[in-house]
This record gives sequence, C-alpha cells and structure tokens, in this order.
Amino acid sequence: MYPPKFGYVFPDNLNEALEFLEKHDDSKALAGGHSLIPMLKLRIIRPSYLVDIRKLNELHYLKKEGDEYAIGALSTHYEISKANIPLLSETASKIGDPQVRNMGTIGGSASHLDPSADYPAALIAMDAKVKIVGKNGERTEDFSAYDKDMFSPDLNQGELLKEIRVNDFSSYKFSYQKLEKRAGDFAIVGVAVLLKMEGEEAKDVRIGLTAVNTKAVRAYDAENILKDKINEKTIEEASNLVLKYANPSSDIRGSAEYKKKVTKIMTKRAIIEAIRR
Amino acid sequence: MKVIENNEKTKIHLKINGNVYEYETEPRRLLVHVLRELGFTGVHVGCDTSNCGACTVIMNGKSVKSCTVLAVEADGSEILTVEGLAKDGKLHPIQEAFWEKHALQCGYCTPGMIMEAYWLLNENPNPTETEIREGISGNLCRCTGYQNIVEAIKSASQKLRINQTPYQHQ
Repeated sequence: MYPPKFGYVFPDNLNEALEFLEKHDDSKALAGGHSLIPMLKLRIIRPSYLVDIRKLNELHYLKKEGDEYAIGALSTHYEISKANIPLLSETASKIGDPQVRNMGTIGGSASHLDPSADYPAALIAMDAKVKIVGKNGERTEDFSAYDKDMFSPDLNQGELLKEIRVNDFSSYKFSYQKLEKRAGDFAIVGVAVLLKMEGEEAKDVRIGLTAVNTKAVRAYDAENILKDKINEKTIEEASNLVLKYANPSSDIRGSAEYKKKVTKIMTKRAIIEAIRR
Repeated sequence: MKVIENNEKTKIHLKINGNVYEYETEPRRLLVHVLRELGFTGVHVGCDTSNCGACTVIMNGKSVKSCTVLAVEADGSEILTVEGLAKDGKLHPIQEAFWEKHALQCGYCTPGMIMEAYWLLNENPNPTETEIREGISGNLCRCTGYQNIVEAIKSASQKLRINQTPYQHQ
C-alpha cells in the first residue's frame, strides 16, 4: 500500500525530462501511473526519481496523417476508445475499468508490456510502428521488434516512447475478443482480427494473440488459410492453427490446457464477429 | 524544472469541492491519504491493488481511483468528492435515488460508487442496464449484490433528464 521513498521531478519540457532520465539510471517516467504506482505500492520497484511527464503536450496528441494515425504516447485509453480508430479503439474500450481508462495511456501500456495487456494483440495485427525519442534524436521501430519480451521494451535509459503509428484500416472488418473472468480484469486470452473482404473472399487477414505467450504474436498460418477461401471449414482450420502460436502458462487465470482451448474459441468468435460487421 | 528530493516535502494546492487547500507532502504520498487527512473521510480505502474503486473521486472532470494517484501528481487539479455533491443540504439526484432504491447497506463503497455514477451519467445520460453495469465495473460492493445500485442509477438518470435545467454543483 505504501510506496518507498523517491524523489520527484516536474520537467518543463520534453528535453529536460529526457536529460534527467538519462543522467539518473534508475529514474522512471510517470504517465498515467496505473502500472507504475501499483508496483510502487507493493514495493516491487524502487526508483530514485519519478519524472512527471503527464503535462508534456509534446507527447499528448492524436491525429490522422494521410492514411496513418499518429498517436502521442500520453493519449489515454479513454481518448483512444473514442477516436474511432478501426480495431484499436475497440481494444482500448476493453482495458481495465472506466477509472483505469481515464488515466492509463497507450505509451505507458506499451512501455510496461504486461504479457496479458490488450493493445499488443491489436498493435501486432496492425503492423504498428513505435517512435522512440532520446536526447540525440528519434528512431522508429516495428512494434513486433520493440516488444522484446514480457516487461522488456526496446528502450534505453533516457529514452521514451513518443508515438505509436498505425495504418488506417477503415476498409477492413475487425474484432477484438477478450476472455476475462470479470469485467475489469486482464485478459485470459485476447484475439484481435482484421479482415479485408472483397465480396465473399478475404484478401488480407491479420490475427494477433495476447496473453498466451511472453509477448504478443501473429498467427501467420491461420491467416494464410483464410485468404481467398473464407468459409466454415477454413474458419475451423484457422482456429485450430492458432494453437501453433499459443504457448500459455498455467496461472491464476486458468491452466495452460484450458487457455489453449479458449484461444481456439476466441479466434473463431473474432473471425465470425468481424465477418458479420 | 522542479526537483523534489526523496526526503523533502513540497507544497501542493488542490481545489476540492470548490475550495483551495494547501498541503505539504512527500512525493510518495497517495492522493487518497491526503484527501482523507484534509477531512474528506468519505473517500475510502478498500484495497491496495487498485481494484475496488472505494477511493473514486472526480479529478479534472474524470473519475479516478485516488489510491493510484500521487498527491504531488494531483497538484493544481480540481477534485470533487461525495461531500461536494449535496447543495445547501439538498441531496443530489444520485444520492436521493440511492436512498429511495435502497442501494447501500454498510455504506463503505457508496461514496466511490456515487462518484462513478456521477461520471457515468455525465458521459451517458441514458444508459442501458448493461452500460450501467459496465460503467460501475471498477467499483466493488460486498453488501448489495449491485441490483439496487443499478436501479438507483437508472432512477437517477431519469431524474436528471426530467430536470429541465441540468443540476449544477458548486
């Protein structure tokens, strides 16, 4: 309940924040605080300083540029859920509970990288890119490479995730299916699906899985079997094929065996719901 | 740039229910504890993992769990707690509806529940039962079984819509 002692910094701008973070090894940036503060309260982490980046407008925007969305790291789950971004907005609306969505940010979620988080299923399906900023400039990475392992983003001390970029998939049908014990929980299994339909045929299929590996993955074989021949039989086959990509662990949310079975079921539901839309 | 060392206190200002309070705090102190120390003991602590919502207040127009906000982080913000809802002793329609529909027993979750209902009805003035239940899913109650809370929020939404002039607090 009670955090350990730490220092606190109010930077006036992004450069000051980056400089301070770089100079102080175990300092941490504070965004929505809905992963960081719970960890402090359990004393799982003991940072020297928290750098309050919440009011830095350089990181708080959400705009459409051509056929891409540029989402500033400080955009909250609530803001994203209201932004009508195909797949991503629906995914944001299923995170935690209303109070959590009012504070939590996409940059914080993607820097924390809980293996059961919701966004990564959508971000990996969307081929999202992340823009990372440091004192010496910016670099852009694929989300799939940036997500190195659970709780392990490709960020060096002194760098911040600045922006997430996704394509506009408005010509696609989509669904995010989250299985949870109760409203407000993390996912037992989460499946994100994007389908580009031409008549009865699926020309592009993207399936992202969360909570069943140490990081989110694409189920490529399942995608391929649905291309050009989407029907009851291939949907069944695709749902079986996702199991190749699911290596869940037994924990408080269910046994590994159970999670594999429900991954199949949630994939089927996601594909069928996407087609119906 | 302002740097506060870990053994230092800093002065913060919070506007709570319309009045400004000055407070000296260590960076590690949680907003929920500071609110309670300032006398707003309707804000409750029901857990230590951000699940229960008994500490819910409105901060800058958004419902938040004040146990998951640092007091320093809230510096300069406007906060509404349950103590600020009634006006000159007249209950807010949500409070009235909780009473009429018997939506509380021990009363420990009630302030947080009412503040979340306040935010929900602001967002969605005419919610369905499903939307109400989703809308309060961050607020746990051990006594009521939720049924009467849902009824109370439905009733409050009607009261608020029937009032031609929207209810103003502060």
